[in-house]
Amino acid sequence: MEVEDWAASSGGSSDSEATSPDSDNEDHCYAYGDIPKLQFRKDGSKARWNEDLGMAEIVSNKGRMWTTTGIVCGGKIYSFLEDTLFLAEIGALQLLDDDDKCIQLEDIYKKVAEGVGGTSWESFEVYRHLKSLGYIIKRHGVCWSMKRAKTVPASVEGESENGNKDKVSITEITQLFSKMRINEAKPIFDVYPPNSKFRKSSPGKPMFVLCISR
Amino acid sequence: MGPRWKGKGSELKALANPISNSISDLQSSLIESNSQGILSGSTVLLATNPQQTDLLNQTCFGRPVITVDKPNQWFQFSLEEAFYLYHSLKCIKIVDGNHNIKTVNELWDYMVSKRASFPDFFKAYSHLRVKNWVVRSGCQYGVDFVAYRHHPSLVHSEYGVLVFSDGNGNRNGNDRLRVWSDFQCTLRLCGSVAKTLLILHVNRNGEDVICSSPSCLDGFSVDEQTITRWNPERCREDQAAVN
Repeated sequence: MEVEDWAASSGGSSDSEATSPDSDNEDHCYAYGDIPKLQFRKDGSKARWNEDLGMAEIVSNKGRMWTTTGIVCGGKIYSFLEDTLFLAEIGALQLLDDDDKCIQLEDIYKKVAEGVGGTSWESFEVYRHLKSLGYIIKRHGVCWSMKRAKTVPASVEGESENGNKDKVSITEITQLFSKMRINEAKPIFDVYPPNSKFRKSSPGKPMFVLCISR
Repeated sequence: MGPRWKGKGSELKALANPISNSISDLQSSLIESNSQGILSGSTVLLATNPQQTDLLNQTCFGRPVITVDKPNQWFQFSLEEAFYLYHSLKCIKIVDGNHNIKTVNELWDYMVSKRASFPDFFKAYSHLRVKNWVVRSGCQYGVDFVAYRHHPSLVHSEYGVLVFSDGNGNRNGNDRLRVWSDFQCTLRLCGSVAKTLLILHVNRNGEDVICSSPSCLDGFSVDEQTITRWNPERCREDQAAVN
């Protein structure tokens, strides 16, 4: 699994408590140019950012990461900003805007800064740290997969079709998490153990629920 | 405890490359490229060119963010580090997610809203940095900062630093070292990683209890105090030698 293969180079292990001066583990402190490099990826997936939803819709998916990332709704995969940024940082995803132009990493960082889609930098860092270690992570309170909504509200009745039905059900999801205020100690993520046989349709119980306090 | 250099030649290398020179080069480079950091939560993100990457690594500001973005390298800074680059070294600007450049008061208000003790922590951080100590987060060691005489690859950190807000009339900021067992815990931890515990008492000297702008920092003072454990069993043999 691509994600599991990637060693956690972002933080180093803070579990190696120093017991002697020589094992003074000064992580993050790179001398003179030996910042770890990521593995080169030839083909990445592509996703289109949906400003209204605050999520990305996967347009072409490559790689097995999608079995454990993003939620499925009406046969399409949608990813939260933290999923999207994580994959963009490692070069596994290209994020496009409505004009199919590539959104640069800098602009994705600015979306996080704005708090788009209920993300914060701190929640992203936690996400990234655990995800790189192979844990499977999803927003608390959101289902891994939802079937297309069978009933369509009166307001969109009579309109075509599939696109609108999907949008309605996704909007319900985004309403759930848009009320989440990351700064209080509310549950943010459900975390599942690494599992190469993970299925979104029957994910089992999460290992723990993660909350971030101020 | 004097400086413990790592390996032969480290001390000479450090003397030949003073941190102050690297910081000055960093300052020039960032000013020249009109660098702008992105304010996000309690972090500031900055894209850097290769020269700035090296200088930031040499001076230990921030941590690299591992991405495939080329040719940029991204760094993330704590609020103290970012504000030091912005306000003390005046070499970066800071924008929010909507590309708005933040003014000094906007930034100050934001940082104080994230942490009420930010003024004291920043005063302590800049107090050490101005004297060319390399200052990094001490959360791994249960302290606020760790201070190095030079780059961590060359020397072991000598001090674990705790920041105390004194004289505010509001003692709520001091929730560390309240009872003897707190001292014992912290000293044992510092000792096992061979650091001396350094308390920086930041006194606001009657400045507004709510510090409304960075100019209030000028009225702050900092007193340093090291705490070590005196072991009578160790000392008496030295006394005997003296006698």
